[in-house]
Amino acid sequence: MARPHIEPFVDRDVPFKKMTLPGFPKGMHYKMLSLDTDDGACTMTCLFEPGYRQPPGMSYTEYELFVMSGSIKVGDKVWGPGSYFFVPAGVAMEELTSPRGATGLIFYNYGEPSFVESTSDHKNAERNRFAAVNSYDDMQWTSTNFYPATAPGCMVKILRFDPRTQGFTFLYCMTPNFWQDNISYHDCCEEAYHIWGTSWMMQFGDLPTGGYFWRPPYINHGAFASKLGILAIGRTDTQLYNHFHFNPWTNVEENRDRAANRIMQWKPDLYKWINTHGHNHPVDFEYDHGHAHGDMPHHHGDGHVEHKHKKKRRRR
Amino acid sequence: MKFIAHKRSRAIQAWLKQEIAEQKKRYNKIVGEQEALTPKRDKWIADFLYRIQTRGVHVHYNQMRKVAPEEIPVKPKRKFKVVF
Repeated sequence: MARPHIEPFVDRDVPFKKMTLPGFPKGMHYKMLSLDTDDGACTMTCLFEPGYRQPPGMSYTEYELFVMSGSIKVGDKVWGPGSYFFVPAGVAMEELTSPRGATGLIFYNYGEPSFVESTSDHKNAERNRFAAVNSYDDMQWTSTNFYPATAPGCMVKILRFDPRTQGFTFLYCMTPNFWQDNISYHDCCEEAYHIWGTSWMMQFGDLPTGGYFWRPPYINHGAFASKLGILAIGRTDTQLYNHFHFNPWTNVEENRDRAANRIMQWKPDLYKWINTHGHNHPVDFEYDHGHAHGDMPHHHGDGHVEHKHKKKRRRR
Repeated sequence: MKFIAHKRSRAIQAWLKQEIAEQKKRYNKIVGEQEALTPKRDKWIADFLYRIQTRGVHVHYNQMRKVAPEEIPVKPKRKFKVVF
């Protein structure tokens, strides 16, 4: 993903803009939080004006919608603050209205925002992956269950987990007087938005309500603290592992080098296999092979990474 | 299926171009603001390095260990930045 390191950014400092992209109905406004310059994937704060009405329709990219204030009505059901939707690409949502208005966050994960009016799913849509939940009312806080874990007082609600990439979307909170004295970095991209409250990181200072970051892999963050506590929503693109340490001055290259060395220690056989196998093109028997679809990026052993080619024609 | 291939209209391309330009400005502003935070950050780092020797550094959850003075890293001579 080609999004720059946006950290910290506070959306309260900028006004909403009208959504003018083709297909979107009038009455939707947004603040851009981060944008992938290659594929247009983006995260936005959004505002639906009172009386907003969006007909049934789908997006070309999977997206996630989280309601922060007000309410929306999807079909006959009203969804208030804390409501979360995961909508796979091509899945047609019922009519979405907001009689009294609402604010929320939208994550368009693999392409620019799009809306196509439709009462039926796209032929390739994976309807079974659709999810909707009120995370405030119907889910409870749990410990993070990572190893190594964040300090006591940081809890999560997992909203979505992708079993293939292990990327996930989650609510997280910090209790008042939370503190964690270490520095962390991850192998994944990580983004978060403060729904309420202020936390502090040693590198970036305070992140208040409306604060946001998009952080590429291997960037130091922490120590951490929050005087009054926070409520936030976060998302990663792949597995999150806490690489903890206490050197404030390491850079991205050193952190990545250390992570690779740790993989070598943790999974020596696999590490050796990846480094020595000629084709270097592992296949997961549970999923389609990259070559079968052609357009899926895959690696080759000659250092050609993220190799792509057009879908091969089937011989008749 | 995370994404359905489609053709981008000119209107979408123009929108993306505009948003990318605005993001570049936001990024540059963040870099400037973070640069200005350097004196405060230097103090926060000094406090952190003191705390991990006296109270300890978090290793996992509530497990902490005290860091010995000889383990404390030395600031390298290269330029230090926090936004990449």
